[in-house]
Amino acid sequence: MIRRKSLVAAAAAVLMISACASGSETSGGSDDTLSLNGDRADFVEAYEAVGAELQEITGYGIDPRNVPSTENYQQVIRSSLQSNSATDLVKWWSGYRLQDLARSGGLVNLDAEWEAAVDNGWVNPDTAPSFSYDGHVYAMPMYKSYWVIFYNKKIYDDLGLSVPTTWDEFIGNAQAIKDAGITPFFATQEAGWTSFIWFGEILSKLDPQFYTDLMNGEASYTDEPARQAMQIWADMYAKGFFTSPDTAWDDEPALLKSGEVAMVPMGTWRNAIFTENGMTDDDYGAFVMPTITPDVAPSVIIESGVFAVPEKAPNKDAAVEALGEWLNPDVQEVWVDEINDISANPEVPIENPVLTSVTEQVQQSEPLELERYWEASPPALVEGNVKDLATFMVQPSPDNIDATLQKMQERADEEWAKWEQG
Amino acid sequence: MTEPAGQTAVRPRAPEPERKAPRARNRGSNVRYDGFAARAGSAVHLLPAVLLVGVLLLVPFGYTVYQSLTDYDGLSTAQFVGLDNYVALFGEERFHRSLLNTVIWMVGTLLLPVLLGLMIAVLTNASGWATWVRYAFVLPYAISGTATAVIWGFMLRSDGAINQVLGAFGLDELQREWLLSWPMNTIVMILANTWQAVGIAVILFLVGLQTVPRETVEAGMLDGASGFRLFRSIVFPQLRPVTVVVVGISIANSLRVFDVIWLLTNGGPGWVSETLAVTMYRMTFVLSEYGHGSAVAVVLAVIVVSVSWVYLRQQMPKRG
Repeated sequence: MIRRKSLVAAAAAVLMISACASGSETSGGSDDTLSLNGDRADFVEAYEAVGAELQEITGYGIDPRNVPSTENYQQVIRSSLQSNSATDLVKWWSGYRLQDLARSGGLVNLDAEWEAAVDNGWVNPDTAPSFSYDGHVYAMPMYKSYWVIFYNKKIYDDLGLSVPTTWDEFIGNAQAIKDAGITPFFATQEAGWTSFIWFGEILSKLDPQFYTDLMNGEASYTDEPARQAMQIWADMYAKGFFTSPDTAWDDEPALLKSGEVAMVPMGTWRNAIFTENGMTDDDYGAFVMPTITPDVAPSVIIESGVFAVPEKAPNKDAAVEALGEWLNPDVQEVWVDEINDISANPEVPIENPVLTSVTEQVQQSEPLELERYWEASPPALVEGNVKDLATFMVQPSPDNIDATLQKMQERADEEWAKWEQG
Repeated sequence: MTEPAGQTAVRPRAPEPERKAPRARNRGSNVRYDGFAARAGSAVHLLPAVLLVGVLLLVPFGYTVYQSLTDYDGLSTAQFVGLDNYVALFGEERFHRSLLNTVIWMVGTLLLPVLLGLMIAVLTNASGWATWVRYAFVLPYAISGTATAVIWGFMLRSDGAINQVLGAFGLDELQREWLLSWPMNTIVMILANTWQAVGIAVILFLVGLQTVPRETVEAGMLDGASGFRLFRSIVFPQLRPVTVVVVGISIANSLRVFDVIWLLTNGGPGWVSETLAVTMYRMTFVLSEYGHGSAVAVVLAVIVVSVSWVYLRQQMPKRG
């Protein structure tokens, strides 16, 4: 009897193991479905909706999968690219993070699909470097988020403030808000990555060319513009403009809605959270942060997640074909309607009034489009430098500026050397 | 009144019944065969456990040691770099801080949960306090480290509950940025961890207290001992086996603490509150420096094994 039970248990174990094994072999979707791996649970419904639209056009739908932790997700993708367990499509980041994967040979070249999209007028060809490595495109943009200042309209109305068009007006508004007992700006290092936001914003509005050079390793963190940006940031801290550096990142939408914080710098992808929290364009608006001085060229930081196809994707050809139609306006309308952000296809209309106002401002001022700090330099350099910026946020004294920048530059020297070695 | 120990120790055994003479047939070859069969039988029974430990522990550890000698980044082919990762690690100021924090955690986690656990167990066991008092201390143990961190995050942040309560009572000067400066952030995280971890110590000490024979306590009382003296001289020595276990668990927990730190401070601001486990995670899974992270893992493993080995060797009864 016992022996029979043992045999049954052993057989069950063998079946379970073989089931696991077959699972890893079938990481792709079925014949008419493409598997897609991502780290944004809030995108899953949007993936399904856009998958239905893609199926009508290409015959392939989307079967979304989600890894909740971004750190775990990155490791899953990195290891899956070298095995046969890759999904057909992967969500990733643009810039150097994409280059990190592309130069390993793990991604499919999408030059033809990109050129077709450009020919159709579905994408701005100038944005190609964000999705390229060594002159070849390896990913398609998921959206085009602009980094703006979201502000609480009620606070502005109550205090008789208007949207600032100059740096002096911007700081003047902040001071008036502070005087009214409200924290002017949201800033936190609690989520780790969030510490680069203000540094990137101030530096890009102080000297956009230097920002670009610094991101590409052609300027030094110890140069004067970087020092000046840190000084401006420290001055703003000295005036008490920011929330405490350990404020929960997740609390940001609630703080803006309740009026405890008047302004938050964030990508337009955050717009979906604001609307989900019940805010309408009566409650909040958005503006591009003014330049520090009027003679500086206007600029805006942009960000785009990307979709890429692994070389070892089970349905590689179908995935490439689907990405060829990704920027199709019919697909994009469904997509941006779900995620409440701006499409990378300039032809796609925007329904949300706050987002519409952002694109109108951008069209009016024609700013330089700069890559977000997170994607604009080698990942190890960025990950290290956000730690130094976080430390500075806790002790934002002018005395800490030089030491902070020195550490960041030492890391830049080290990490750029590693990057060049490949 | 009682029989001297020596007399019981030398009490002669009752004569064993006469054993039957062994069978004579094929004795030599059968003994060898039986011995081999017995060993083979034992090996078959041990095999699953040996395989499990080998596959799940030793092979990954061996691979981690190998990986710590390479520059593997999760994508490109690993190059052998010898001890470079270790040399770089021991030259980093951040690693020294991580090591120091690990020691602070070990001392704190050793002292607080063990002492508090013992105190709570003794007080609730002896004084007949209501059971719910005991539950109040034991129940947090059922909460995960992640939930603990979330709860304490609400309390410890600058705009959190602790500072709000202090402000409400006019104690503004006592308000602090609890999670933002070192070593305060490490200390408050140890306290948060203690709140969660003290439950298991209480349970184990309560079990230990129930095994203390009433006669020994009564004898001590008859000899005039009471209060702390009674506890120190009569009860505590009999809790030694439990204490060995509780301290052992605390050492292991302190060296592998991760979730509370990761969720409360992310190891920061900067790197100031990282322990070795957090440093290992960050290097491996955030920076994708697998070789570097593996070197931290090996250092941590060596520390865990060394500390546990020394401690258990000191505490466990010697054989023979």
